[in-house]
Amino acid sequence: MLPLSLLNAAQNKPMLVELKNGETFNGHLVNCDNFMNITLREVYQTNADGDRFWKLKECYIRGSTIKYLRVPDTLLDTVKDEQARARESGRGGRGGHAGGPRGRGLPQRGRGGMRGPPRGRGGRGRGA
Amino acid sequence: MFSLSFSLFIKWHLSIFCILGHLGKMLVILRDGRKLHGVLRSYDQFANLVLEDTVERIYHGNAYAENWHGLFLIRGENVVLLGEIDLDQEDDVPLRRVEYNVLEHYHKNDTAVKKKHEDNKSQILYEQKGFCREGGEGDGY
Repeated sequence: MLPLSLLNAAQNKPMLVELKNGETFNGHLVNCDNFMNITLREVYQTNADGDRFWKLKECYIRGSTIKYLRVPDTLLDTVKDEQARARESGRGGRGGHAGGPRGRGLPQRGRGGMRGPPRGRGGRGRGA
Repeated sequence: MFSLSFSLFIKWHLSIFCILGHLGKMLVILRDGRKLHGVLRSYDQFANLVLEDTVERIYHGNAYAENWHGLFLIRGENVVLLGEIDLDQEDDVPLRRVEYNVLEHYHKNDTAVKKKHEDNKSQILYEQKGFCREGGEGDGY
C-alpha cells in the first residue's frame, strides 16, 4: 500500500492537512492526484499559530506545499479489507477465466504432441 | 537527490529487516523539528511515509511527553531523518515521562528561543557575512 494509494483510498474521508508554513486544513477529501494536489470540502482552515480560523466550502491545495496529512486510523484496515476482497473476487474471476484458456490449452498441447513426431522425423528446417 | 539517496537508504535498511510492518518503532524527524514515533507501514520513491500509531514527542531538560496522533502520511520533502528505535536501549535512557500539557508550555518556549536565535544568526550572516537569506521563494519554511 503505497502512500499515494492510501491517499487515493482516503477519498470522502475526513483528514487534516498541514502545510509547510504551519497552516492546517480540516475537511473531507474530494479528490487527489499523483502530485498530492488535493481538493477538500467543508474545510476549517487554521493559521500557523492556531489562533485564527476560517470556514471554507471547498478548497484546493497544491501538493508541493503539504507537510503531512493525518488520516483516520481505521483507513489502513479498511484498505486491507478492500484489497483482500478485491483479490478474492479477482481470483474468482481470473479462475473462471483461466478455465477457458486451459480448456483450449490442453488440446493445443495435445496437438503439439501430435505434431511432435513429424517435427522429430523431418527435422524440417534443418533437413531442408 | 536527497530523497533518492534517502529512499535507497530505506531500501537497504528494509532489505536487512526484510518486511515492512515487522519493523519496530521508527523515529522520524521533520524539517520543522518535530519528532514523530510510529510504525512505518509504507514508503515510496519520494520518501513519502505512512506511519501508524504515531505519537509526537517533545523534550525539555530530562523530561519528555507524548501526544497521540494516529495515522500519518508524511510528504517526503519534509523528512530529515528516519531511524529504527532500539526498544531495549530506550529503557536505559534517563528521561522521565510527564504529562503533555505540563511540558507543552516549556517546549513552546524552547522553540521560540531557538527560532529567535536562528533569526538573529541569519540576520548577521546576511548583513555582515554576505550570505543570502534562507527560506526564499519556493521554500515553504
